Amino acid sequence: MTGYVIRRLLTGILILVLLSMVTFLLFNALPTDPAALTCGKSCTPQVIEANRVRLGLDLPLWQQYLEFVKGLFLGRTYGSGSQTFTCDAPALGYSFRRGECVTPLILGVLPVTIYLAVGAFILWMISGVLLGIYAALRRGRWQEKATLGAALVGYSFPSFFIGLLLLFFVVIKWQLLPYPDYVPPQDDPVQFLQTMILPWITLALVFAAFYIRLTRNQMLETLGEDYIRTARAKGLPERTVIRKHGLRAGLTPIVTAAGLDLAGLLGGAIIVESVFTLPGLGRLAINSVLDADLPVITGTVLVAGFFIVVANIIVDLLYAVIDPRVRLT
Amino acid sequence: MGKAYKNGLRLAAVASVGALALAACGGGSTSSDASGSAAAAGVTEGTKGGTINALTLSEQWQHVDPQRMYTGVDIAFFTGYTTRTLTQYKYAPGAEGTTIVPDMATDLGTASADAKTWSFTIRDGVSFQDGTPVTCEDIKYGVSRTFATDIITDGPAYAISYLDIPKLEDGTSEYKGPFLAEGSIVAGFDKAVTCSEDNKTITFKLNRPVGDFNYAVTLPAFSPVPKAADTGEKYDDNYVATGPYKIQEYTKGQKMVLVRNENWDPASDDYHLAYPDQIVVSFAIDAAAIDQRLIADAGEDKTAVMVGQLQPENLATIFGTDDPRFKDRSVDGYDPYVRYTVINTQKVPNLKQRIAIAVAINRAEVIAARGGDFAGDIADGVIKPNLAADYAPSGMWTDMFGQAVPDTGDPEFAKKLIAESGEPMPELTYQFPQNPVDEKIAASYQAALAKAGITVKLEPIEPSQYYGIVFDPEKAQALIRSGWAPDWQNASTVIPELFGKTGGFNLGLVDDPAFEAKVQEAAAMTDRAAQGKAWQALNKEAMQNAWVVPTVFGKAQFLWGSNVGNAFLWDPYGSMPYGALFVKSA
Amino acid sequence: MSLDTADASAASPAAASTEDTFAGISLRRLAWRRLKRDKGAMIAMGVLILVFVTALLAPLIVSVLGLSPYDFDNSALDPALGSLPAGSWGGVSADHPLGVEPLTGRDLLARLLYGARVSMFIALTAVTLIAIIGTVVGIVAGYKSGWVDTIIGRSTDLLLAFPFILMLIALSPVLTQRLEALGLSPENARIIYLVIVFAFFGWPYLARLIRGQVLSLREREFVEAAVASGAPTRRILFKEILPNLWAPIIVYVTISLPTLIAAEAALSYLGVGVIEPTPSWGKMLADSVRYFAVVPTYLFIPGTALFVVVYAFNVFGDAVRDALDPRTGRNLR
Repeated sequence: MTGYVIRRLLTGILILVLLSMVTFLLFNALPTDPAALTCGKSCTPQVIEANRVRLGLDLPLWQQYLEFVKGLFLGRTYGSGSQTFTCDAPALGYSFRRGECVTPLILGVLPVTIYLAVGAFILWMISGVLLGIYAALRRGRWQEKATLGAALVGYSFPSFFIGLLLLFFVVIKWQLLPYPDYVPPQDDPVQFLQTMILPWITLALVFAAFYIRLTRNQMLETLGEDYIRTARAKGLPERTVIRKHGLRAGLTPIVTAAGLDLAGLLGGAIIVESVFTLPGLGRLAINSVLDADLPVITGTVLVAGFFIVVANIIVDLLYAVIDPRVRLT
Repeated sequence: MGKAYKNGLRLAAVASVGALALAACGGGSTSSDASGSAAAAGVTEGTKGGTINALTLSEQWQHVDPQRMYTGVDIAFFTGYTTRTLTQYKYAPGAEGTTIVPDMATDLGTASADAKTWSFTIRDGVSFQDGTPVTCEDIKYGVSRTFATDIITDGPAYAISYLDIPKLEDGTSEYKGPFLAEGSIVAGFDKAVTCSEDNKTITFKLNRPVGDFNYAVTLPAFSPVPKAADTGEKYDDNYVATGPYKIQEYTKGQKMVLVRNENWDPASDDYHLAYPDQIVVSFAIDAAAIDQRLIADAGEDKTAVMVGQLQPENLATIFGTDDPRFKDRSVDGYDPYVRYTVINTQKVPNLKQRIAIAVAINRAEVIAARGGDFAGDIADGVIKPNLAADYAPSGMWTDMFGQAVPDTGDPEFAKKLIAESGEPMPELTYQFPQNPVDEKIAASYQAALAKAGITVKLEPIEPSQYYGIVFDPEKAQALIRSGWAPDWQNASTVIPELFGKTGGFNLGLVDDPAFEAKVQEAAAMTDRAAQGKAWQALNKEAMQNAWVVPTVFGKAQFLWGSNVGNAFLWDPYGSMPYGALFVKSA
Repeated sequence: MSLDTADASAASPAAASTEDTFAGISLRRLAWRRLKRDKGAMIAMGVLILVFVTALLAPLIVSVLGLSPYDFDNSALDPALGSLPAGSWGGVSADHPLGVEPLTGRDLLARLLYGARVSMFIALTAVTLIAIIGTVVGIVAGYKSGWVDTIIGRSTDLLLAFPFILMLIALSPVLTQRLEALGLSPENARIIYLVIVFAFFGWPYLARLIRGQVLSLREREFVEAAVASGAPTRRILFKEILPNLWAPIIVYVTISLPTLIAAEAALSYLGVGVIEPTPSWGKMLADSVRYFAVVPTYLFIPGTALFVVVYAFNVFGDAVRDALDPRTGRNLR
């Protein structure tokens, strides 16, 4: 087990390093000149040159990458003479356009995304798995058809369309909720909930649909397997059979999908954040794309990729714990 | 005044007034003596206290740093609250709002007979937020920052172009600002900006007569910065206030809180009204959400104003019916902008072909795509009627080209002109910032010009990169969407900027020595009426050359909370008169 | 949203070929027979065929109806309402059966039909590329094993670690510029960009799936027999193994298509999708969003179209999976 864990962690780290290299190369070896993006209208060749030197963009690319990695661990100081500014470790760079270090920028918006992702995650996991089990237990009856039908409908709506419909009806037409306006929960818990409830529901609707189908399929598959039949034959109550045996074995793909979906959302639920104008990672990302703010783009991609890689590791490890059939070699 | 029309998404440009639609704000003054400054300002006496909320789509202000600030609404906001300037525009609706009054200075400045030397004396009691008095040296230092063009980006360049400092061969000033330890020649700057013995009077020596230099100093670029507190790049985040409010909190993407500056001495200030106790700006709110919140007018939104303007889709709701809910808290008026499309003279050097493009464009569709009746009027030049002294109809669409051109364009006439041009029409590319309105207009251009046999490729550009690309002569294409508002009430901030060889906004790369000479002549005129005539003629000449196709004299629309007083469209910046706003019942 | 890979793998070729020998008729015909019995699937298929045909014939239909997706129509707009469509129901009239677009007066029906072409083109091209790349890479990785497998495995891991939508958005300005430099018009550059990026980030899922299938196929007698008889690798890969993979490929494709159609819409909504004057459903939806309070029909028309197609694809995809996976069939029916 320890060997497996260590190997898994090492590959994870390798992927992270590769990810950072590719991301860095992708966005820094571009036809657009990052230095030219620092001064907007007042760009002159001299200004561009000066800023290129100040930001270290005059160095060869591999050296820029090393500086970047060094910054991650040691922090980074830009400029020279009286005009310097320092980004503390872990420094993901400095955004000229916003005049801020990237790391605090990302840390500032991350809580919003975490609240959004985790809240929605809880909602959809509970509803999705429960309804999935329900559908499996009522197989062949109308309840199953209705649940699956509803799931398919939910699954077929693009998330922004659901979000917009909710916004249109709940907020504008019926005025049941005020217009979403994010505040941190510690400032105003009521307004926080009022703001988050629709985004949560939107995400949950889309994802729950998927998990209903997945859970139901998994349940049916495992319930058909021999050891479940044995358990039933032993005269164990149906409830115990489902909970102890069916769920546990059927759980693996659900856990996998759940982990990856959660990680994906933590990397920025771009669409839902845009629909409800939540100041999260996704919105930061898309705004920096529209602004061609390369350091922020690189930073958000890396953070999002980090979540995905970490989630993959966790999922793999959980996999081993949950499913007795997975042999660790 | 925000010069270039800010494109699209993030920087909602703002608007200003015609004298109409001001019913709400009781333009008249109260008679009592106690209301001295409000009455002087031409607005209603307000009550002190409460919080004004400003809602904006932007993630942050363009700049807080005074020397870098150039967007109309930013200037209107900060000069209203935190930033004192030598002179500033009067808080009054209508044309009265475009007159200037002294703020930090004792009067409107003293000019020499040739208008090449200007002096302003600072009032007693003017201080920074830490209590240090503001001196001439502080203003001089502030002005010097403009010259550090590598760090102090985005700001207006009037100090560089007006001050009498020798220029280098490449046309830039020999003075490079206060941040360079070596290599900067300071002597020229020290001669051009001088302080009196008591450090209270600042004198600017200009390289040409500028009869309205006291309008130029309304720009925060001419406001003081304490040298000790100057953090260069970072001064945007560490601004030291001089006005009645100071910045308590500024979290980009979230909010800014302004609170009273206890070191501001009301006795030193006849300009600022300073009614509310607090101003809270909320950033990054969806434009649709801002509209909906102000339409709903509930809770804190009752004391809210919008920094941007109303979205086109909501205009019908608010102005379409005489809805009493909105009647007294909305305005629909002319903004200071002229929208136009540049025809790049390098790409289309043939005059007949440029005229052909101008007459082929379907201006009616442009107006419709901009919001029909709310878009404004079809433009016939780059000088707008609200620049009263300098405007005269150019006749562009009636007889300038020998025949009237209908609003829907005249493809047959265009074809005829192309045939007369003697050259094949080149394929054109239209550059525009990608946003829902401009891309519709682009589609209209493509279709309308196709009818005249002209092929147009569309090149949408991310709004934030737009001017960076179109200003690069290598990347600039034949047709470029643009817009412009005068920096103050003189077309000297329009014609030279747009069509002068060294103009700051000469997107079409116009290089016409004869025209240039006339521009210089007009700029030096001290007789304002004669100057106005000269601008009218030059405006007409520019249109005859079809350097640009003017499309719309723009309008803008605002809505505000029912508990906000003194709200109207303030002409000079096309914004709310921020410094005059008050909470009706706190 | 993760793709339904777990489900797709359920249609395993191992199970399929067992069924094959049992029933004595080809799996293809068996699956088709099952599919035909599924009424929902048949309706869905009908809808999809209808959409494909109308999309294909859009120029014809539009010209027969006397409409145009590009012509502005100021007369259909009300200037006093800020250029909203004149009249009720979003400007529905004899001239404009589904109403018009605000600000321009362009005909919505024509744009909807033309938009279907663009949306379908993007999704179908991308899914074809995904199927080809994913299958080839998956087969090679699964059959070759060793360092080839390791490299491919790590690259797919790496690709899957990229935040997909974020990358799509972040790369869009750069890559479209590059494509335009190759001489594509901006409209087409965006479309090609979407296809390329969908394919680029889409194939690893399929490759993984295929690799797993190949790993188990490799151990089976008919492959071992072919290897023993000295057949060349290429022949084994494409003659022996590939024919056994079409079930998971088909299932994967049917599940991917609606996801891609929806993704195109989402990207247009975020402002990095298809651009003017080209209509696409996503573009229309994105545009209509601002009007949802004042001209709701404008939102509901492309929204409904998108939903119906995605839903039909999902229903059909479900049925295909059921038809191809005898185990679920046996257990459930």
